[in-house]
Amino acid sequence: MIDLTNINTKLWQEIMDNCGDIRKCFNCNTCVAGCPAAEGTPPLFIRNLVRKVLLGLEDELLDDETPWLCVTCSACEEMCPMGVHPFEVCLAIRRWQSKNDETYIPAATTEIFETGHTQAVGQAKDKRKEVGLEEVPPTIIKFPELLKKFQEMLRNTDIVRENDYMFKD
Amino acid sequence: MKYGLFLGCNVPAVRPDVERAIRLTMPRLGAELVDLEGSACCPAFGTFPSADETASLAISAWNFSIAEEKGVDLITECGSCYSSLRIARSKLLESEEKRKQVNKLLKPTGKKFQGTVKVRHLIDVLFNDIGPEKIRKSIKYPLENINAIVQYPCHTLFPSEIVGFDSPSGRPHMFQELVEALGASVQTYSRELQCCGGAGGFVKGSFANASEFAFKKLRAIKKETDAEFIVASCITCLQHLDRMQDELNKKNGNNACSLPVFDYNQILAVCMDFKPKEVASISTISRDEFIKRITKK
Ligand code: SF4
Ligand code: SF4
Ligand code: SF4
Ligand code: SF4
Repeated sequence: MIDLTNINTKLWQEIMDNCGDIRKCFNCNTCVAGCPAAEGTPPLFIRNLVRKVLLGLEDELLDDETPWLCVTCSACEEMCPMGVHPFEVCLAIRRWQSKNDETYIPAATTEIFETGHTQAVGQAKDKRKEVGLEEVPPTIIKFPELLKKFQEMLRNTDIVRENDYMFKD
Repeated sequence: MKYGLFLGCNVPAVRPDVERAIRLTMPRLGAELVDLEGSACCPAFGTFPSADETASLAISAWNFSIAEEKGVDLITECGSCYSSLRIARSKLLESEEKRKQVNKLLKPTGKKFQGTVKVRHLIDVLFNDIGPEKIRKSIKYPLENINAIVQYPCHTLFPSEIVGFDSPSGRPHMFQELVEALGASVQTYSRELQCCGGAGGFVKGSFANASEFAFKKLRAIKKETDAEFIVASCITCLQHLDRMQDELNKKNGNNACSLPVFDYNQILAVCMDFKPKEVASISTISRDEFIKRITKK
């Protein structure tokens, strides 16, 4: 039995503001059948996530870490017969989780804020030199004044403003 | 033909030999590459797109504005960069409100998103702008009597209305023809169009299952084909299929699955007689014997 005493009847709208029309989902399972992450433990079943959203099971959705298993392959986007955009739903749920529980905010966002990249692009000097490349590639890592502007831009976004302690120069 | 080379993060930091191969082979084929100075992460789906959509679109718009200033389309090797930028562009073009929001964020930086340039994947440019015929004529060492399998980057297939250039998306052919232009025979197998499973959070969140998922693909390759090497055109497919063969061998206590994995521009560069030390030097499964066999050096 699903406990419906503590539900948020607006949940579907909060999520849908950020993706396609999830009300059209008819639970056909196509998004699960071709999904690599459906083989995870616990498995990612987009179909079930959509149910949780439509039923307003807010607490359960907030505790559900399966959206983070998605490999982003977008096979479900292609196959969903109802145009629900399951991959976009997955990202919208992650954003909703990040907004409601900051521990969900991926650490890589702070790395991008600090360096412009998710990898230590500026520290690959020897490796790059060995293959005959410039030691530092011509990305943002090479232009500190641009990185500063980039950070100023991001400081005006909700995520950085609301969690400014995480984002350091 | 002039293109803005979008490097992303993984290629320049982890596999710079791929960057070197792209920078050498494309001009040889008449495609001039210009640098996108100051470009940042695309951003990858697991970062800002999973936390704040407006911030994410602003970062993509930052990247677009650099290419727009130069009047060039962006080309990428990384499937995730390609898909993330394509999806961001389509969202920005669809919504005036989103365009306004990101341009407001961009304004103090002196940049602006106009939507005047496109995002292209290397496979698309190699096939549609350059063509297999020209590639065939450009190489010194053809891959005669060598069997290959290709890993189609799913980020270039789905969702087809936003990222697609090959058709139909369920039966792509361009990548295969590009590999055949090098002289190799491309074999197909049951799990050919399956994702490698290497992107996103699957590997991190569920390592054993993600490995098993990749092993299924590798076992199918070994069982159903006589492939002697694998060709990818996405930094994550490249690294993952390389690493997962090592994991499978460790598990089985042998070296039964040791197919060299190349990015397309890497194997192209080797066939063009560029120095393997520069264009194909970083991998887990050794590629040295295979390269020697091709170049007879
Ligand atoms: S494929 Fe679409 S309609 Fe079917 S269960 Fe998944 S989201 Fe719902
Ligand atoms: S995009 Fe994510 S949810 Fe969709 S099929 Fe791929 S892994 Fe599964
Ligand atoms: S997709 Fe990956 S490699 Fe490409 S820019 Fe983003 S984080 Fe970097
Ligand atoms: S096969 Fe994996 S790494 Fe390659 S494009 Fe698809 S999701 Fe990305």
